[in-house]
Amino acid sequence: MSREQLINEIQEANLSYLLLAQQMIRLDRAAAIFRLGVSDEVARILDQLSPGQILKMAASNMLLCRFRFDDGMILGLLTDHGKEKPLMQSHAAVLMAGQPAAGLA
Amino acid sequence: MRNKSVISEARQIDLAVELIRLGARLAVLEAETNLSRERLLKLYKEVMGKSPPKGMLPYSTDWFMSWRPNIHSSLFIDTFRYLCAHAGIHGVEAIIKAYQLYLEHITIHRMERVLSLTRAWSLVRFFDAKMLTTIPCTKCHGHFVVHRLDLNRDYVCGMCDMPSRAGQTKKIVEAAVAALPRHVLSPSNTHERPRKQVPMPA
Repeated sequence: MSREQLINEIQEANLSYLLLAQQMIRLDRAAAIFRLGVSDEVARILDQLSPGQILKMAASNMLLCRFRFDDGMILGLLTDHGKEKPLMQSHAAVLMAGQPAAGLA
Repeated sequence: MRNKSVISEARQIDLAVELIRLGARLAVLEAETNLSRERLLKLYKEVMGKSPPKGMLPYSTDWFMSWRPNIHSSLFIDTFRYLCAHAGIHGVEAIIKAYQLYLEHITIHRMERVLSLTRAWSLVRFFDAKMLTTIPCTKCHGHFVVHRLDLNRDYVCGMCDMPSRAGQTKKIVEAAVAALPRHVLSPSNTHERPRKQVPMPA
């Protein structure tokens, strides 16, 4: 993958992430806050972004969504294909629900 | 309590319909809305097409301690608490939202619906009454439902430390036995006698 192509892919991912996040928040605010793992404040900012602002934000060489599994345990549970898959998923879901929301510093 | 405002009554009816759709029993509806019992009964019949089940609500806190229910109820209560802490919703609204997210989870992973809405509602009541609480597992740090007054030092959750016969309910074992080929179960039954032909009446 060339450098240009890589940056294009990042910007595309940024754009679809921001659009999806905004749509989720407008559709069902509470559920979106849970699914995105962000605080109420961040949700309000995402909600109020204009299309122009979203385009500007997306046009970056950095990815805007962050890897949420800084806990190795959750990552292990989600990627391991043991025989009790639904159980692992539930275990991971319990751990995810217990994680703090990402907010503004 | 009588409803004075038509709009607030409409909201109450919306709430009751949502609760009935999710499987709430009549007692839950009576506690969470201020509609009269007669109206709730009529509403229930209209939404579900049958009368509501009678009898007492499940009142045992011990149910939440057994292995499978504990996983499901911990997932529900963690979601509920997350919503209360970060999404700014409370009470019955948060219960409905958390229950919908729980249903989503079990549909995606094709799990059995172990926790009913009525149980989820009573779980929140038990938390409010300080009979149950959650405690972090010392291995995975997830929060799990426990009795508040139990001794829970060095608590390890049911998924980090699986009991040997976990999930082996009667129903699942019976289904597994039924799925086995017949000769495995009883060799004498492999050659089944052909059934007698019953003459059809003319």
